[in-house]
Amino acid sequence: MSENISSQLKKSFLFRGLPEEALTAVAQKVSARNLAEGDVLMRKGEAGNSLFMVDDGWFKIVTQDASGGELIINKTGPGETIGEMALLDQAPRSATVVAISPAKVFELKQDAFQEILNQRPDVALALIRGFSSRLRFSTTYIQKAIDWSQKIAAGDYGFIENTQQILKGSESDDDKATQLLSAFFQMVRSVKAREDDLKQQLEKLTLEIDEARRKQEFEDLTSTDFYANLKEQAKQLRAKRMASENEE
Amino acid sequence: MSKGKIVSIHSFRGGTGKSNTTANLAAQAALAGKRVGIVDTDIQSPGIHVLFGLDENKMGKTLNDFLHGKCAIREVALNIGEHAFDAEGRSKLKGKDIWLLPSSIRGREISQIIREGYDVNRLNEGFQTIIKDLNLDYLFIDTHPGLNEETLLSIAISDILIIILRPDSQDFQGTAVTVDIARSLDIPNLILMANKAVPKYDFADIKKQIEETYHAPVAGVLPLSFDLADNASKDLFSLRFPDHEWSKALRGVANAILAVK
Repeated sequence: MSENISSQLKKSFLFRGLPEEALTAVAQKVSARNLAEGDVLMRKGEAGNSLFMVDDGWFKIVTQDASGGELIINKTGPGETIGEMALLDQAPRSATVVAISPAKVFELKQDAFQEILNQRPDVALALIRGFSSRLRFSTTYIQKAIDWSQKIAAGDYGFIENTQQILKGSESDDDKATQLLSAFFQMVRSVKAREDDLKQQLEKLTLEIDEARRKQEFEDLTSTDFYANLKEQAKQLRAKRMASENEE
Repeated sequence: MSKGKIVSIHSFRGGTGKSNTTANLAAQAALAGKRVGIVDTDIQSPGIHVLFGLDENKMGKTLNDFLHGKCAIREVALNIGEHAFDAEGRSKLKGKDIWLLPSSIRGREISQIIREGYDVNRLNEGFQTIIKDLNLDYLFIDTHPGLNEETLLSIAISDILIIILRPDSQDFQGTAVTVDIARSLDIPNLILMANKAVPKYDFADIKKQIEETYHAPVAGVLPLSFDLADNASKDLFSLRFPDHEWSKALRGVANAILAVK
């Protein structure tokens, strides 16, 4: 059991850097929990005092939208950790997590986590590294996102092609920052497509003519005696002016 | 050139900026040193006088007086080059050879002429006389929108017909009929001009569509402009703001008129 837990721990960004025997030490402190579909793992606003690693099954992370309806902000599955920040800051849960299939998680309670930190400064240091590298990664991309947002605001979408090639090289698919960027790029592509579409509609400002109506109106106007007379007068007038011009 | 050219400015519907365009085109021709007359034949809803800074008090005889046989056409013509230096744009016309023949803006006189009508032949004779009397190079006629008899006359006797349209489907349809009429009346020079084009549109594409539809040249696509609206007919915009996009495009149309042999 604890070997299975060790290998699960290894997959998470938090414990990734730990040596084997440290992982085993952590694994001994965790307990397994089984959930049925629809079970609530944690509720938004509750005090957070443990971290979960998903061993099996899937969860939805939900919050409420402005009108009180359920808003799914993410889905999470095997190998991922949930609620890890609570181990450090003990802040209330920021979202509700509900099993959307039968699931199994490993729970690491805060006091157990604290105990590890006290006993193993090397583990504490490795965890801090894990957190800080993640933070750095996020900060870098937040900075980029600000930069890109300004470009989008200015109507410059040129960065999409270049930047996406760099992103493809990223291996940390489970990373939230990557998910955010993926969503961000999806958004930019949609906005650009919509804008292009709109531009095309404007350029193709279709000015069509009802030819039958055109013909009818022309006939109505020109079939009067006034018109026939006018046409004849205009013709004579022009001829007269032409003649006097030639004289001069 | 011994004979003055009659340039009628027409639009199928109102609101195309016709009077404003007429006044500015005439002013540009005068600036270019031409002898220019402007007749406001939009008797039902005269408006071009405002652009030249005229009100009821400054107006003497009007086209209505001439049409009712009360005066000679020469008495109606007001020399703008000697008046109207009250605004920055208009003041550039000082000393130029430009005359305005206004319509009456008195309600009673307007309703009288609408009720009784007038002799279109007399109007035509008036045009010919004033060209001769003032030795005009160009007589610009600001017509009433639509295709009533008086307007048909102005079109019929034109050497150059400028049709103004907005890039919208109603104008597009109505203009088609006007173009057909102009062809039927053998108007020697037909020039189209799009006005109030929303700047986000592709102007080159608008020009192309209009030219392909009517088989007539488009001398300019002028933008819809808040600056122009803000000017609120208080001055001649193309003289007051010569570097504005609208003014530049308008000069393009003026040049097309001046280029007609």
